[in-house]
Amino acid sequence: MKFLQLNLLAYGPFTDTVIDFTRESGGFHIIYGPNEAGKSSALRGLKNMLYGIPQRSTDNFIHPHPQMRIGGTIESAQGDILEFVRRKGIRGTLRLPDDGDIIEESVLTRYLNGVDEDLFITMFGIDHGDLIRGGEEIIHGKGNMGQLIFAAGSGISRLRKVQEQLKSEADALFKPAAKKPKINENISVLNKNRKNLRDAQLPGQQWESHDKGLRLARGKKKEIVKELEEKKSSLYYLKRVQQSLPIIAKRKELINELKSYVKAILLPKKFSELRSNRVASLNSMEKERLQASGSKKDVENELSNLQVPGDLIDRSSEIEELHRDIGSQLKGEKNRLKLQTRMNLLQNETKDILSLLGDDLKIENAYKLRIKVSEASRIKTLGRGHDKIITRLETAEETIPKLAATITAANRKLKESGILHDIAPLKDSLRRADDYKVLEKQYIDEQSKITIELKTLEIELGKQSLWQGSVKELESLSVPEADIINIFEDKIGESELKIAQLKGELLGLEKNLSDAEKQISELNLKQEVPTEKDLAAAREKRDKGWHLILSILNDRSDYSEKIDDYITDYIQKTPTAKTLADAFEISLKKADEISDRLRREADRVTAKVKLIVDQESFNVQIDQMKNRIKTALKEKREIEKEWVALWEPAKISPKTPKEMRIWGENHRALAQKGKDIRERKARGDKLKTDIDHHIKILNRCMKKIAGINGGGSKRLTDLIEEGKKVIEYENDLQKNKKHLEKENIRLNQELEEAQARVDSTRGELLKWEKNWKEALLPLGLGAGTHPDDANAVMAEHHNLFEKLKKLDTLKEEINAIGLDKDKFCAKVDSIVNAVAKDLADVLPQEASRKLNDRLSMARAAFSKEETLLGQLKKDKDRIAKARVKISEIESQLNQMCREAGCERYEQLAEAENRSKIRWELENGIKELGERLHPLSGGALIDDFIKDALMVDPDTLENKILLLEEEIEKCDHEKSELDQTIGSERTELDKMDGSARAVGLAEESQILMGRLEKDAQEYARLKIAAKILNMGIERYQEKSQGPILKRASSLFKLITKGSFEGIRAEFDDNGTPVIVGVRPGNGELVGVEGMSDGSADQLYLALRLSGLQDYLEKNEPVPFIIDDILIKFDDTRAIAALQVLAQISRQTQVIFFTHHTHLLRLVEKNIDDSIFVQHQLV
Amino acid sequence: MLKFIHTADIHLDSSLRKLDSYEGAPVDEIRQAARRAFNNLVKLAISEKVDFIVIAGDLYDGDWKDFNTGLYFVSQTAKLRDAGISVYIIFGNHDAASKITKSLRLPDNVHTFPSNKPETFLIENLNAAIHGQSFASPSVKKDLSLHYPSPVPGYFNIGLLHTSLSGREGHEPYAPCTLEGLRRWGYDYWALGHVHQKEILCDDPLILFPGNIQGRHIKETGPKGCVLVDVDSSGKPSFKFKPLDVIRWTNLEIDAQGAQTSDDILDLFSSSLENLLIENPEIPLVIRVLIKGETPAHQELCADFEKWNNEIRGVALDISGEMVWIEKIQIGTYPPLSEKTSGKGEGAMGELAGLFDELKSDPDLLLTLYDELRDLDQKIPREIKEDPDGVILDDPAWLKKMLEQVRPMLFQRLLQKEG
Repeated sequence: MKFLQLNLLAYGPFTDTVIDFTRESGGFHIIYGPNEAGKSSALRGLKNMLYGIPQRSTDNFIHPHPQMRIGGTIESAQGDILEFVRRKGIRGTLRLPDDGDIIEESVLTRYLNGVDEDLFITMFGIDHGDLIRGGEEIIHGKGNMGQLIFAAGSGISRLRKVQEQLKSEADALFKPAAKKPKINENISVLNKNRKNLRDAQLPGQQWESHDKGLRLARGKKKEIVKELEEKKSSLYYLKRVQQSLPIIAKRKELINELKSYVKAILLPKKFSELRSNRVASLNSMEKERLQASGSKKDVENELSNLQVPGDLIDRSSEIEELHRDIGSQLKGEKNRLKLQTRMNLLQNETKDILSLLGDDLKIENAYKLRIKVSEASRIKTLGRGHDKIITRLETAEETIPKLAATITAANRKLKESGILHDIAPLKDSLRRADDYKVLEKQYIDEQSKITIELKTLEIELGKQSLWQGSVKELESLSVPEADIINIFEDKIGESELKIAQLKGELLGLEKNLSDAEKQISELNLKQEVPTEKDLAAAREKRDKGWHLILSILNDRSDYSEKIDDYITDYIQKTPTAKTLADAFEISLKKADEISDRLRREADRVTAKVKLIVDQESFNVQIDQMKNRIKTALKEKREIEKEWVALWEPAKISPKTPKEMRIWGENHRALAQKGKDIRERKARGDKLKTDIDHHIKILNRCMKKIAGINGGGSKRLTDLIEEGKKVIEYENDLQKNKKHLEKENIRLNQELEEAQARVDSTRGELLKWEKNWKEALLPLGLGAGTHPDDANAVMAEHHNLFEKLKKLDTLKEEINAIGLDKDKFCAKVDSIVNAVAKDLADVLPQEASRKLNDRLSMARAAFSKEETLLGQLKKDKDRIAKARVKISEIESQLNQMCREAGCERYEQLAEAENRSKIRWELENGIKELGERLHPLSGGALIDDFIKDALMVDPDTLENKILLLEEEIEKCDHEKSELDQTIGSERTELDKMDGSARAVGLAEESQILMGRLEKDAQEYARLKIAAKILNMGIERYQEKSQGPILKRASSLFKLITKGSFEGIRAEFDDNGTPVIVGVRPGNGELVGVEGMSDGSADQLYLALRLSGLQDYLEKNEPVPFIIDDILIKFDDTRAIAALQVLAQISRQTQVIFFTHHTHLLRLVEKNIDDSIFVQHQLV
Repeated sequence: MLKFIHTADIHLDSSLRKLDSYEGAPVDEIRQAARRAFNNLVKLAISEKVDFIVIAGDLYDGDWKDFNTGLYFVSQTAKLRDAGISVYIIFGNHDAASKITKSLRLPDNVHTFPSNKPETFLIENLNAAIHGQSFASPSVKKDLSLHYPSPVPGYFNIGLLHTSLSGREGHEPYAPCTLEGLRRWGYDYWALGHVHQKEILCDDPLILFPGNIQGRHIKETGPKGCVLVDVDSSGKPSFKFKPLDVIRWTNLEIDAQGAQTSDDILDLFSSSLENLLIENPEIPLVIRVLIKGETPAHQELCADFEKWNNEIRGVALDISGEMVWIEKIQIGTYPPLSEKTSGKGEGAMGELAGLFDELKSDPDLLLTLYDELRDLDQKIPREIKEDPDGVILDDPAWLKKMLEQVRPMLFQRLLQKEG
C-alpha cells in the first residue's frame, strides 16, 4: 500500500491542506513543518485517516469534533486506488470522497494488508523517543540477541521492560519459596485461619460431659439439702432448751416471793408522785403568805416620808419651752455677726463697679442706670446681625473675578473645536449599502467554494472513464435516460436469463437421457429383460416350426424341397438343434420361457419398456431445446446491437447496461454539479455588480467629507465600517460644540447674579449702621461702639444690680434677729415672778436653766409616790390568795389517806412502798414467760417447760456439739456441689451457640475467593511471559540470519565506517548477544562499550533491517519517521538519510521534520529524483 | 384447619462460597447468612401462627463440626416452643454425617424420626398424621418410601422424605423413588427435601421440594425460602412460597453486541443492574457478571483485567450503595470479524500471533504452559482446584480459556507506546 494523497480537510490547524504523494519522482517524502506549523497534527492526521480519529482527539481546536474531516487516497500493491474521507465519529466514519455514503471498513482493511493500528504505529512508525528507548534497551539488555531480533522484527522498543513487568507483577503475586507475595501470604493466613477454626469448633462430647456433670451435681445437692434441714432442726430444739432452763428456774423463784405481798393494796402508778407534789405545794403557800405581810409594812412607812411641789409641775410646759429657746437665742447672736460682715463686703464691691462704669454715683442712686429689657434685647439682636452682613458682602465680592476667568477659557475651547459637515447623504448611502455587507461575505465565501468545487469537479471528470471532455461539454453531452438504460438492462438480462434457463433445461434433459440409458444398461446387466417383442418373435418361431411339422405330418402333398430348405434354415437358426424336432422343442421351450419370464419378471419388463419409451422422448426434446437456444442467442445479439447504437450520439462505446447505469448516474451527478456551479457563479456575478455600485457611491460620499483621505477601500464591508466611523466622529463633534455653548451662557448668568448680590448687601449695611446708633443711646455709648463692646457694658450693669439686690436681703435678716431676743426676756420675767422670786436677779438665760432643773426634781418625787401606792395594793392581794390555796390542798390530802387506808398523810409513804414491790414481782414473772415464748417453738409455755425439764441437762451440751459438727460437714459438701454446679454452668454458658467458628469459616471462604482471583491473574502473567519467550525464540530462529546480516551492513553505513558491522557472540553466561566489530583489526565492542549515539544507530540499523525483512515477505506498508536524526552529527545523518532513500525504493518513506538543516542535507546529498519535499505552512 | 411450614436443606452455619471481599463489598451482609435466614423462618412461623414446621432433612451441613450450631438450633426451637409450635425433623444425608445430630438434646417440642424404620406422629387435636424416616447413613441407596405406613383414615397425612426422586442434576442419588409411587401412596402432602431448587412436582396430592433457604454459591440463584401450607376445612392444601434468604445469588448476563467502547459496556451493565435491583428490592445481591457477544471493546476488556474488575465494582457500588457484591466477572466477548481478520502480518508480531493459534490447536504444546504453573498448583488449596468453576491449572480447556484473555493483554502491553 502507499499513500497518494493526504487531504487535511478540517483537522488540527489545517483547512483543505493537501499533501500530494503521487509525484513521479520518488518514494522518499520529507515533510517539513517549522514549530507551530502543525507537523505533529499532520503526522496524527496520517494515522487517523487510516484508523479513525480518536474519541478524545485534541486536534479540534479550530474545527470542532463533528466537523473534523481527513481525506485520503491510497493505492494497493496491485494498483487499486481507494479514495475516501474519514470523519470523526463512532461508526460509519469512512465515507466516499463526497463525504456521502459509508464505505465498509473491511474495504480499507484489505488495502492495509491486515496491519492493525497498533502494529502500524509500532512497526511502521518511529520517532525520536523510540530511538532513544531502543538505544537504552540495547545497553540495558546487554545486547541480548533474542530480544534485539524480536524488537527489530516488531518495532517494539520496550520489549525488555514488558518482560520485566510481567515477571515483577507475577513475583508480587506468588513465589514458590517466599512469604511476602500476595498468594503466599494469603495461603499462610488461610492455614492459620483454618487452625483457628478447628480450635473454635466445639466438640459435642465436651458439651455432653459438662451437661452430665451438672445434672449429677444438682441431684446430690438436693439430698444434702434435705439432710441439712433435719439436722439443723434438731440442733435448734436442743439449743432452745439449753437457753430456756435458767429462765424457767428464775420464774419459779419469783412466783414463790409473790406469795407474801398478796394483800398489799395496789396503788395507781402516779400516786406517790401526786402525794409528794401536794405536800410540797402546801409548804410553799405558807411561806408566800408570810413574805407578803412583811412587804406591806415597809411600803406604808416610805409613803409617810414623801413630799411633792405642785405649782412647778402646773407650769411645766412654759418652763420647758423657755429652756428649749436658750439654744436658738445663742445661735441668733452668732448669725447677726456674720451677716454684718458680709454686708460690709458687698457694699465695697458695689462701689467698685460704679467707679468702673465711670459714673460718680452713690450706691443709693445707682438705680438710675437701669435700662429697659426691650432696649437691651434690640442691642443684642443688631449686634448678632452685623457679622452676617459683613460675611455675605465679602463672599460675593470674591466670586466675580473667578467667574470672569472661567468664561474666557470656555470661549477659547469653543473657538478651537472643528467645523461641522453635512452627513445626511453619507448616512443615506450607508443605510442602503448595509444589506449588501452580509451578501458580500457570502459572495466571497461562495466564490472560494465555487473555485474548490470546480477544481474537484475537474479532477473527478478526469477520472471519469469512457468519456473525456471539459466541464462545459459535460452538461450538453447526450446520455440516454436511466429509464431507457433500465429497459435495456432488463431486456439483456431477460434474454441472458432465458438462455441460461434453456441451457439449464438442456442439461436436465441430457442428464435424464443419460440416467435412462444408465438404468437400461443396469437392467440388462443383471439379465437381458425380455420384451413383448421378444415373446412375439419366439412365438412366431415356435409357430413356424409347428407349421413345418404339421406340413410334414398332415399333408405331404405340398411337401417340397422348399420345405426342406425351410426346415434346414429353421434348424440352423436354432442353436444346438440338430433336427426339426429338436429345433421345435427348443423354440417351444424358448417361447414358454419368455412367456414365463414375462409373467415372472413383469416389473422389470414394464420398467424396461418405460425406459425405452423415455429414452426416445428425451432425444426428441433435446433436439428441440438446442433449436430454442440458438434462437435465443440470436435475439440477444440483436438487442446488443441496439444497445451500442443507443450510445452512438454520445460517441461512447458502452459497457454492460448495469455498469452504464452506474456510469450514467455518476455522469448525471457530475453534470448536476457542473450546472449547480454554473448557476451559482451567475448569481455571484450579479451580486458583485450591485456591490460594486454601492462601493462607488460610498467612496464619493466619504471623499466629500474627509477629502482625499476619505474612502478608497475596495471592499464594501470595510467602506461601511469606515463610513460609520465618520458619522460617529461628526456626531461627537456636534454634541461637543452644543455642550460648550450652553456652558458659556450659564457662566455669564452667574457673573451677573454675583454683581447684584454685592450691591444689595452694601445697602443692608448702611441701614444697620443707622439702627445701631439709635439703639446705643440708652446706654450712653457712641455709634462707633463695636457690638462686642456694647455687650460687655450691658454685662457689667447686670452684675451691679444683682449685688444691690443681695444687700437689701441682708439688712432685713439682721433686724429679725433683734426682735426675737426681746420676746424671750419678757417670758422669763413673767414665770420668775410667779413661782421663783429668788431668781429675780439672775440673767434671763441662767434663770430659765435653773427653773428647768427644779421642775425635773418635782417630777421625780411625784412618780415615786405613784409606785409605792401600787406595791401596797399588790401585797394585800397576795395574802388573800395564799389563804384560799392552803385550805384546798389540805382537803385533797385527806382524800388520799382514805384511798391508801391511812389516818394521816405522813403514813402514805409506807403504803406506797408495799404496792410497788407487788407490782415488780408480778411483772418479773410475766417478762420471764415472754422470754420463754420464742424458745418454745410455738408450743404452749407450760407444755414446753414440761418437755424441757425432761431433757437431761448434763448431756445436752455434748449433743449440741455433735450436731453442729455434722451440720458443718454437710454445709461443706453442699458448698462443693454449688461450686461444681457453678463451674459446669459457666462451661455450658460459654457454649452458647456462638457463631465464632462460622465467622472463621466465612473468612476462609473470602480468602479462597481472593486466592482464586490472584491465582488466575498469576496464571495470566506467567502464561503471557512464557508465550512471549517462545515467540521471541521462534522468531530469532527463523529470522536471525538475514536480519543480522542486513543490520550489520546498515550499521556500517550509518556509522560511516566507525564500525565494520555487527556479529553474534556469546557472553559469559553463554547467552547469544550482539557485538560491534571495529574496522581494521576487527576488535569486538560489546554494547556496553558503545556510546549512546552508536547504540541509537545500532537500534535504527536493526529496525530498518527488520522492516526490510518484513517488506521482502509482505506487501509494502509506508514507513513513517518523526524527526529521528536530531541528535545525529551531519555525517551520520547524511548516511542515515541515504539508507532511508534506499529503503524508499521498497516502500514509501515519509519523514517528518522541523529542522531546516536536515532539509539542506537532503537537498545536497540525495538525488532529487528520489525525494519529494513538502512544506507545511 | 391446619397451617404448617415445609422447609428443607437448611445447612445451618454453612458459609457462602469463595467471595473475594473488596472495598465497598457488603461484607456484613454475608455474615452468618444461614443463621439469619433460619431466624427469618422462626419469625415467619411465629407471625403466621403455624401449627408446626416440618424439616425434610439436611438441617446441618455434613462436615461442619461445631456443636455451637446445634446449641443455636436449640435456642431457636425454644422460641418456637414458647409460641406453641412443634417441629418435625427427618435427618438427611448431611445430618447422618453430622456429629451434632448424635449428641444434641432437643427441646420437647422437637420430634425426630428414627432411622431404622418409618414412624408416624399423630397430632390428635389437628387430625394430622406425619410419617417419616431419617437417613441412617450418609448414603442411602434404597427407596425408603416403600415401607412408609399406610395413610391414617380421617387424618391429613403428610409424608416427610429426603430423596433425589428419580435423580436430579447436581444432587447425589439418595433414597431414590418415583413420583408415581409417591402419588399412589394416598398421602395428602409429600414434604420432600434434598434438592436445593424449588420444584413443584405434583398438584394433587401436593408433592414438592421447597429448595434451600439461603443460596450459598452461584448454582443456587434466585429467591430461597420455605413453603407455607394452609389446609382448609375440606382437607385441601394450598401453599405459598415465602422467601427467607438474607442475600441472593444472581447471574447477570450482558450482551455487549453493539457496544463500541468499554464505556458503552459500563452503561449496559449499569442499566441491567438497575433492573435487577428493581426485581429484587431490599435484599443484598451477590452477582456474577458475564459479558458476552461480539464487540469492538473486546480488546479493551481483556487488556486490563484488574481495571475492569474495579470499574464494574465501582459502578455497582454507585448504583446500589453497598447492596451488591460482585462475585466474579467473566469475559465471554469476542472481537468483530473485521478485527479478527486484521492481524499482525508476517513479522515478529505475526509470529507471536501464530504461536497463540498453534497453542490453541495443539494440546501437547498447550500443556507445556503448565510447567510455569506447577509450583502454584502445589500450593493452592484443594477447594480451588476441585471446583469446576475454579483454577484448574493442568486442564487444557482451562488453559485454552486463559489464552483468550492473555492474548489481548500481552499485545496491549507490547504495542502500547510510551510517553
